[in-house]
Amino acid sequence: MVNEVKSTSDVKRALEAKNLDPSGLARIGVRPPLGEYIQQLWQRRHFIWYDSRHRASTQNSRMHLGNVWLFLRPLIDAAFYFVIFGLVLKIGRGMENYPAFLIIGILLYRSTATSITSGTSLLRSNKAMIKAFTFPRASIPISAVLQATMTAVFTIMVMCFAIMVIPPFALPQISWVLVIPIFLIQTVLNLGLMLITARIGFHVPDMANVLGVVSRFLMYGSGVMFPIERFVDNETALSIVTLNPLYQIIDMMRTVLLDGQVPDLRAWTISIVSAVGILVIGFIYFWRAEESYGRELG
Amino acid sequence: MDESSADPAPTEDDDHHDTLWVAPEESPLTVVAHRVRMRYKVPRTDRAPRPGLLGKLSTRRSMVSVSAVRGVDLLVREGEFVGIIGRNGSGKSTLLRMLAGVEPPTAGAVYTSARPQLLGVSAALMSDLTGAENIKLGFLALGMSPEKAEELVPHAAELSALGEAVDLPMRTYSSGMSSRLKFAISVMAQPKILMVDEALSTGDATFSKRSKSKMDELLENAGTVFMVNHAPRAIENVCSRVIWMERGRVVMDGDTKEVSAMYRSFTYRMARDREDEAMGILREAIEHGEAQRAASALTLPEDHAPVAPDNVPELEPDPFTSIFELQMRAQSFPGTLQPRGRRAATRPAPSATATISTTDQRGRHS
Repeated sequence: MVNEVKSTSDVKRALEAKNLDPSGLARIGVRPPLGEYIQQLWQRRHFIWYDSRHRASTQNSRMHLGNVWLFLRPLIDAAFYFVIFGLVLKIGRGMENYPAFLIIGILLYRSTATSITSGTSLLRSNKAMIKAFTFPRASIPISAVLQATMTAVFTIMVMCFAIMVIPPFALPQISWVLVIPIFLIQTVLNLGLMLITARIGFHVPDMANVLGVVSRFLMYGSGVMFPIERFVDNETALSIVTLNPLYQIIDMMRTVLLDGQVPDLRAWTISIVSAVGILVIGFIYFWRAEESYGRELG
Repeated sequence: MDESSADPAPTEDDDHHDTLWVAPEESPLTVVAHRVRMRYKVPRTDRAPRPGLLGKLSTRRSMVSVSAVRGVDLLVREGEFVGIIGRNGSGKSTLLRMLAGVEPPTAGAVYTSARPQLLGVSAALMSDLTGAENIKLGFLALGMSPEKAEELVPHAAELSALGEAVDLPMRTYSSGMSSRLKFAISVMAQPKILMVDEALSTGDATFSKRSKSKMDELLENAGTVFMVNHAPRAIENVCSRVIWMERGRVVMDGDTKEVSAMYRSFTYRMARDREDEAMGILREAIEHGEAQRAASALTLPEDHAPVAPDNVPELEPDPFTSIFELQMRAQSFPGTLQPRGRRAATRPAPSATATISTTDQRGRHS
């Protein structure tokens, strides 16, 4: 039986035995080392930017109202929640400015939830690009998050506008500047989550259903609709909830917009550390299956 | 099939023959494939319901593993224009995707001297963007700087010959138009290795002429071009070397005229339902191609001796050849997934197990 030619060095030796020059040949269809991968991604920064910009501007191009929906959708959402929970159900009795509390919670939650659920189908829906060109595949989730971020800028603007016009009126204060860093922390968190769900969704498309439930769970665990302190009495449960980065982000945003105060150091630390941690984990997790994303079937 | 649809344009043909690309004698290697295999695990549904109550209740689906490519060795040099022919489902496109690095092989390895550019048949890239925007996006995806991309967009738009349509959203394009656009992107990026997967067969006459001259230009600049097509006519007019694939293996690999003549007579008989004759030709071709296959297989220097190809093939056939032949004989056109007919009755079991095994030995890509 013939000895197996397995490793790259075996192949090179075998080629040399045939009097062929193996220098200059490099293996393809394998994932590059992490450092090189990041470098390749950096090289494609123009691609990522161009791609996300054009996706953001064409995402509503098939609708009659076009990009008016960038404003209209969060506005309708805000109005809906204000009417149902603020006027009809009167859930927020005893809380000052419950409508604003709810609108901030819902709109911020929605952007993270969308990252989780849209990540599952991301690689499949970008198959044409993946098959046509060789580029680091992490460009796709990054570009998708950038696109969502560009859309979210309008959402944030609508959010600020809504809490100013809905009674009791919250008026702009100096602390509103801090909306920007909090928004950036959330973008980092969204990217990390999307990298994770993109790979999971590529291997197991069924996870789209499970992740829908997960994001619903996240909604109750982040104090989107009600202040968590009201319902959770247990000390340990409460401290677990406060480790949730999304809870912290929403809470910080409320502190900044409604109370006009600077969030405390603990909130900043928890949200930044966990958002960056999830991004690092997500990036490595995504990279580890890099070579397989071009596969035709499963 | 191909013989019967003889093209009534001989003048154009002669023109092509004059410009047939000739590969240089000696040049460095650009693509090396070592025992690449590709196995897919896919669900299979029986057409006939199973008998009994259980058969009505249980689904008729089971997972099967399909070997699309089963061990291909390839050595390709600079300046070669390689055509890959074979029937539908013979593994041509899968092989090309693996050579391009888009899909990792389940076993084996591919080495290239540069990043290959694959031109496949697929839908629009970004359907909401215009053709011109897609060109720029493609250039950027290939790692070009924005300035360079901006500079090349008009050239690519011109090469694609789409005219005013280049400013329309890509979702309005026909498949021919979209493959023109992708060809323009790929060629303008000056790849050292270009792989074309039937994409150009949807282009019309003017475009095929234009694309041919672009590919020749690429070859002159020490490039390598691969082209996949099921029709020998599209290949033999342009390629300097032809690889004939059948059931995921290389039947013959070599001179264009020789290989495509064999392939033509094979498909000719296949199309006329003279299967036994066709299989005879196939067997002959497999034996003929054995020397070439052995030459491109990689073996370590020390164990070069035991394999002595082409010595006495008639007396003692290489076990691999005989196994391959057995599979060929046992499987009838168009594939193995068909109701057990007269052919299956004569040679029952091995046919099904040869190509499609119901196990889940899906190759790991370690």
